[in-house]
Formats: sequence, structure tokens, C-alpha cells
Amino acid sequence: MVSHEIISKLRILREYALAQGARAHLEWKAEDSHLVRYANSAISLNTNEHLTILEVSVYGDHKIASTTLIVDEDDLDTMKATIDKAIEMLAFATPLTYLPTLPSIKKTSVFEETYDPEVEALPNEDIIAFVNEATKGLETDDILLSGNFSSGVATYASISTETPEVVFSRKTDIGITLVLSSEKRKWEVNAEQFVSHKRDLDAQALHDRLSWLVELYTTLPEERLPEGPYRVVLGPAATAEYLSFLGWLGYSASTLKRGLSAFKEDDVGKKVLSEQFALIEDPGMLATFPSPVDAFGRRREKRAIFDRGVLTGFLWSQQTADEFGGTATGHDVSNLSIALQGGDVETALIQDFARLPRDRDILYVPYLHYANIVNPTEGLVTGVSRFGALYLKRDGTITLPYNVRFTERLDQLFGDKLVWLSKELVPYGSSSSYFGRDPSTTLVPALACFDGVTVEISNESF
Amino acid sequence: MSVDWKSQVKRLMARGADYADVRYYPNHEEDFKLMWNGNFLAFNRSEESGFGVRVLVGGAWGFAASSNMSSPEETFDRAFANASAASTKVKRPIRLADKEVLSGRFVSPCAVDPFEVPMAEQIAMMRELDGYINQEGVMQRRVMLRTIRNTIQYYDSEGAEIEKHFVEIFPSIHVTSFDETGMMQGRKYQPPRLGETRGWETMDRDHWKEHADRIVAEMRQSVEAPKCPEGRMSVILMPDMMFLQVHETIGHALELDRILGYELSFAGGSFVRLDDFGSLQYGSSKLNARADATLINSPGSFGFDDDGVAAQNRMLIENGILVGAITSRQMVTEANERAGRQIFDSSGGTCRACAFYRTPIERMTNINIDPGQDGTLEDIIRNTEYGVILSGEKSWSIGSNREQFHFSTDIGWLVEDGERKGVVKNCAYSGMTLDFYRSLTAVGDESTWEVQIVDNCGKGAPGQVMHLGHGVPVCRFDHVKVGE
Repeated sequence: MVSHEIISKLRILREYALAQGARAHLEWKAEDSHLVRYANSAISLNTNEHLTILEVSVYGDHKIASTTLIVDEDDLDTMKATIDKAIEMLAFATPLTYLPTLPSIKKTSVFEETYDPEVEALPNEDIIAFVNEATKGLETDDILLSGNFSSGVATYASISTETPEVVFSRKTDIGITLVLSSEKRKWEVNAEQFVSHKRDLDAQALHDRLSWLVELYTTLPEERLPEGPYRVVLGPAATAEYLSFLGWLGYSASTLKRGLSAFKEDDVGKKVLSEQFALIEDPGMLATFPSPVDAFGRRREKRAIFDRGVLTGFLWSQQTADEFGGTATGHDVSNLSIALQGGDVETALIQDFARLPRDRDILYVPYLHYANIVNPTEGLVTGVSRFGALYLKRDGTITLPYNVRFTERLDQLFGDKLVWLSKELVPYGSSSSYFGRDPSTTLVPALACFDGVTVEISNESF
Repeated sequence: MSVDWKSQVKRLMARGADYADVRYYPNHEEDFKLMWNGNFLAFNRSEESGFGVRVLVGGAWGFAASSNMSSPEETFDRAFANASAASTKVKRPIRLADKEVLSGRFVSPCAVDPFEVPMAEQIAMMRELDGYINQEGVMQRRVMLRTIRNTIQYYDSEGAEIEKHFVEIFPSIHVTSFDETGMMQGRKYQPPRLGETRGWETMDRDHWKEHADRIVAEMRQSVEAPKCPEGRMSVILMPDMMFLQVHETIGHALELDRILGYELSFAGGSFVRLDDFGSLQYGSSKLNARADATLINSPGSFGFDDDGVAAQNRMLIENGILVGAITSRQMVTEANERAGRQIFDSSGGTCRACAFYRTPIERMTNINIDPGQDGTLEDIIRNTEYGVILSGEKSWSIGSNREQFHFSTDIGWLVEDGERKGVVKNCAYSGMTLDFYRSLTAVGDESTWEVQIVDNCGKGAPGQVMHLGHGVPVCRFDHVKVGE
């Protein structure tokens, strides 16, 4: 459904809400998703999901009630009924200790810069051909292909009863994860790519990484690393994983005010991380699938979150600002546009880095599996390496380490332990969450080096 | 509008499909209420309606789902086209294990449908619970109530016609405070299933009051407590921690799709190999685990799975030996073929999808540990030289093949020379899965066994969140690595 049709329907629903005497915020989310999933060197699943979601929040005196509906996009009667339901529920909502702010959108904005009709129309044949090219010659009887090729469109529109103006965005994305694994030995390597436009797909880059890793994993010796401290180089996935935890524990005002933050209000203006650590939120970065305007109609601006290790402030959602007396900072979006600024190391590909001379042993970890917070106020995060770790030895040789577990404090990892960062940034992200298509990426240095990262558990096999 | 689902399925078969099924959700309702420090941060009702079509063509799956009901044939055709495209890259054509073709109806046991309870009464209940935990020393308090009511109509090309009605309720309370170093200490309570039903009647005020007072008292003790000692020692897992240990390192590890490599692109694999069935010493001889979808009061019981197979109760680990897996129709056939022997004689009936717009995959039902012969909790403590009792899952992180794990808990109690000593905080333990279960030295009796529930089990691509259960006793493991 194109933008004017959705906007038109939202305005009809807004009129309906007004006619019921409601003060309401209406959000329309639609997705058309296509996932081709590979396993055991076959297409294990090929799916399409076409969903239309309406979210209604009705505001009363110190009250909010909300309803969510997944329904036929043309079924306005059921959508109106869900507005009625929210109004009905509002009567039962107990008063909040604060006055919630109803969005008042001053100007209609339409954002489609990350929309590509070629992605929306991408046929099965093109997807299969692309994956064939990216993995050409790499599968054997023992080395099997797994992976996902996820493509689709996510549409978002927001209106409130305050004004007839609308925030609208339509984004396409392709998220690719390709895994080659040994059925007998159980090692696994991967390559990933996240783009908004078909023209940015690069099968050769995926093939280059996979073929290099497969060559290493079929020829080099494997080993169990002794537990203890290591110099570690992280790939984009692992760095982005740590940054996602930092986003929750490090600079969210909601987390801060609920007492779960690793940093405190007193830390604002202080150097709490490495001087090399510069983190920005910039809705101008198209590679992050940004939202230039938030759900309240606020145009969003680039801002530093950590500037040379100094925490510049916390990000406030409108709800947190309402509840705790702060000022919303324009971050009422489903995903932030975060970038960790690059450093001065020119090397970006692990293939190149592995060839460089080195003065010590280095453990390369591209990916962290199932990381989680052990202790939020300590900023303590644990996770296990996965997908093609390498042990780059001082003498120039390489071995294949079994997976290892790290449990690290974020303020130490991004503080004293941070050694260097690649200059080049790459996007790492996902096409969807458990709750629907919602493309997002974080821009991270292609390689990030840390000292004194402790391996606390070391597996005894792949 | 009314759709003739069976005709649509027949149409796909006439076009050349090997198999097809459709799941129609007329109205999936879910209420989620979150009260945080007395404020409703979430006061939400959601409803979903739509259908999902799964079709097998040329040995490959295609799936399509839509919330649009005006032209269902388009979605059926899309699923067919997807399967046809997938059939261009097939290594081992999918064959579904034989099943008994069933027509039936399942209704989850419920005396009082929560959706029929007046909203005012539900709110009053939540405020009451909030009042229970609004005590001195509590810095943050949360009351959560999630209720689900759903109907699923299922039709497949083999002639099955099944209708399922579910009512589920997931309540919990949570308190946190901070110790003198500013470190968060928390405690929560999600009641185990005590009766034989799954409705509003399970909300027993006296029970809540008792446990609200308990968790507040324990949180206060954690705030004042010393840190948990580190090193190798015995850990005694209470059911509210043991369920997660089982979930992550038996449940997920024994999903047959993971074992066969179908989740490698994201969720991960399993250290278990097909050769291991019937011989792998998974744990000590005290370990008996089963997948029991017939446990009537748990969200892991559903009557029939989304392959149309009736609920099963099957052993997974018997006297420490691996004997079974969590299986669907597709995977048992493939596993037997790949193993070159018959490991599985039929589907274990565990194929489920979380929504109409997701495809069914192997999911845990109720992955239970049978009660043992080692007495009560107090008996186990009495027979423990040095260790820590651990309760309340706080964090979890597991290796991609489920071969290793790291958990932290809300609270611990030191045990020395057979006596429970004081509370300790910041408890965490880690280990290798097989070493851990082989160190199982005590399994509590029926008095320690509880049905714990899980409403947030994530798996699959596209991602799915499923609810299920774990009936588990108190268990003791020796020589475990304890420490953050």
C-alpha cells in the first residue's frame, strides 16, 4: 500500500477517534517480508509474510491505554473497533503519577530514502542466484550451507488527534547471513551483509570472506586455548553486540532512572571510557535505516553520546521525560542510528590483518553468541565466540581456536582495554526483531582491538 | 469473511503439492499490563487475525501468511510458488513421518477465563500485588500480568481437522534495591503451576501475599549479604533456577532440528550427534528427563501440534543415557535416513508456531526432570558438605551448540557441613553441559518438584517466541565453577 493510501486511512481513523471524543496516537505498521532460509545445503524454508498492524494509544487525565491489532489492511471497521476498545480500557486505567505527553506532529514528513522498489519486487530466482554466486564452489559433501536471505519492506506511519499531520517512512532492506559448516567437525564460519538497496549487494565480498575462512578451516590445526587474558580483535558483529548492551546500560535515561545503568548522572561530563571511544547518534546516516523524525514529529539531529570517552548525556524518551521530569531528546524511534567512530588503523578486512606482521598473539573473534547481562549496574556482559574465530600467532602462523567465553565489564572493555579501531566503518544489524520487520544497523569499525580480555571457559572441541 | 480452507488446500494438492496445511487464527487476543512503581507503563490489548499456509512441493517447504482475508487464494498461491522455488535447491527431499490422521478439539483447562474477568477486578488485583511489594527498602517494583486467549483451526491435505482453544496466564512480581556499592540486587516471583488449570483462578491472593513478603525479605538480605564465594563447590538449584538450566542445556540441545543443523544460521546447533542416541552418558544415573505435552496445567501442553500430531509424553534421558529428542514429522524421517538406522519411530508431536505468520518448528513442550530419591530440600542440604543454594534466574548465556553455559542468580545461600548458612549475593556459575549433568549427585523427591513456566522462549528465523513449561525438582551438582 503506498504512502498516500496509508496516510488517508490514518486520517479517517483519526477523525473517528476525534468523533469519539478521544485523544489518541495512532501508529500504522506494515511489513511485507520474504525470507529464503538455507540449511544443510538446501533451501529449508521460503516464506512470505504480509502483515498490517495498527497500534492505538488513548490518553486521558494522567492515563494511557493501548491496543494493538493485526488485521486486514482494508478492514477499517475492525480498526475503529480497536480504537473503541482502547477508549473502553482507558476507563479502567489507574492514574499515573505523571502527565503523559500526547504527540503533536506539526508537519508531515515522508521518508523513503532507504526504500528501493527493486528490493520489494526481488524475485525468488534472483535471491537464489545471488546466494549461489556468493557460495560458488564452497559446498562439499561435508561443508554445508546454512543461512538467511531476508528482504522486504517495513512501513511506519504515525498520527495523533492533535493535528492531521503525519510521520511516514517506508524502508526496504536485505539482511544476509551465510554460514558454511562442517558436518563432521562441527566448525562454522559466516559472512553477513545489510543493505537497503539492491545495487549495494555484493556477492563477491561474501564469497571472498567465506572462501578465505573455509580454506583456513580445512587446512589449519585446531586448538583449545588456555584460559587467561588475551589480546583480542573483534569483528563487526561482536563489536555491535557490545555496543547494543552499552546502549541499554550506558546512556538510556530510562535505565538510569530505574537504577539499572552502569553509569550515573554524576558521570555526565566525565571521561568514563577510552579517549578513542567516540559514539554518535546521527539520523543522517542512511546505512543505519534512520528515522529522521521521531514518533512525536521532532526532527532529529546528530549528537555525540561519548566524545573522546566523555559521556555527554543520556537519551530521554518522551515517556521517561514525562515520568522523571527530564526533557525528551528526540529519540522516540524504534531504532537509534548509532556509529562508533573509527580510529586510525587502515586495515579493515581480517584477510588483510592476518597477513600483517605482529608482535604478539592475537585472538580474532568475529561474533558473540547469546551474550547477556550478568550484572547491569556493573555493566558486566558475558558471551561466547562463534563463526570463525582465529588465533593469529606472533610467528605468523594461524590456528583455529575452539569457542571461548568472555565475561567483561563494558567500562573496562571500552576503557583501558581498548587498543585501536579500524578507520573504516561497516554496518551490522538485523532485518527484524521477534516482533516484526524493523531493519536497523549500527556502524562499527571493521576491526576493534582490545587487551587483557579474559577467556574464562575454553571449549574442548568445535 | 468465511473461507473454505479445505478447498484451498485441495487446490494446492491438485496443482501438484506433496502436502499442504493451513492454520487460521480467527482472533488471537493478548493482554499485557506492566505496573512499574505503581504506574502502568503498559496497559495493552492486542488482537491478531490471519492465516498461514505451509506447502511441500518437490521435497521443499514454502510458506506464506497474511492478515488480509479478502483474497486468500493469493497467499496459498504464494506459498506454492515459494515451495516451487525452494525445490530448485534440494539436497534431501523432505518426507514427513507417518502419522495417525486425527480430527479433534483441545481446550486448555480453565475455570475462569481471564478475558471474562472485569478489567476493574484485574486492575484491583495488580494494585493489590503492588501493595504487597511496596515495602521499605524496595527501590523498584514491578507487577506484570500477561494473558492470552487464542483459537487455532488446522486443516491438512491428509485429512486432519483440528481446533484448539487456549487460555494462558503469566503473572509475576519483581523487586529491586541497591547495595552499598550501588549494585542492583533483585528478586522476583512467577508462581509455578499449583493446580490443574491455566486460568484466572490460579491467582490466589494468600499465595501471592506469602511470596511477596518472602521475596522482599530475601532482597533485603541480598542487599546486606557478602558476595558469593568463588571456586569449585556443590550447587543446589532450586526449581526456579533448575528450570532454566534444563531449558537451555537439555531442552534446546535436544531439539532435533538443531541437532540436524537447521538452526545454524542464527540460534545454533547442538553438541549432540545422531550417533549419541542410545549411548551418550548425558548425565549421572540420577538424571531422567522427558518431553511431556500431556501435563495439563502447563502452557507446554496443547493437545495436538501444528503437524496435527497428538500430544506425547516421551523420555529424553533415561538413567543418564540419551534416548530421545524433541521431534517433528520432518525431522524424524531425515534423522533416521542420515543415521542409517531407526532412531525415532514417529514424531514426538512438538512442531509448533507462535503465530499464524510463523512456520511451525521443533519447540519444547514441557521438558521435565523426574523427581528422584534423595529426599526433601532439607535432606539434600543435610548431605552437602560445601556449596551454595541458588534461586531465581538473573542472566543466562549459552554456547551455540549448548555445550557450555554461564548463569547468574538473584540469590544464594551458603551451605557448610550440612547446614544452610547466610545469604550470599552476586551468585553465578558456569560449566560444560555434559560435565555438569554427570556431576548430578542428588535429585529431590516429589515435595521439591514444581511446574515452572516460560513465556519467552526465542528461536527460529523469522524469530518466534513460544510458551512452555518445565516440571523440575531441586537438584544438586558437585564440583561446579562458581563465580562471576
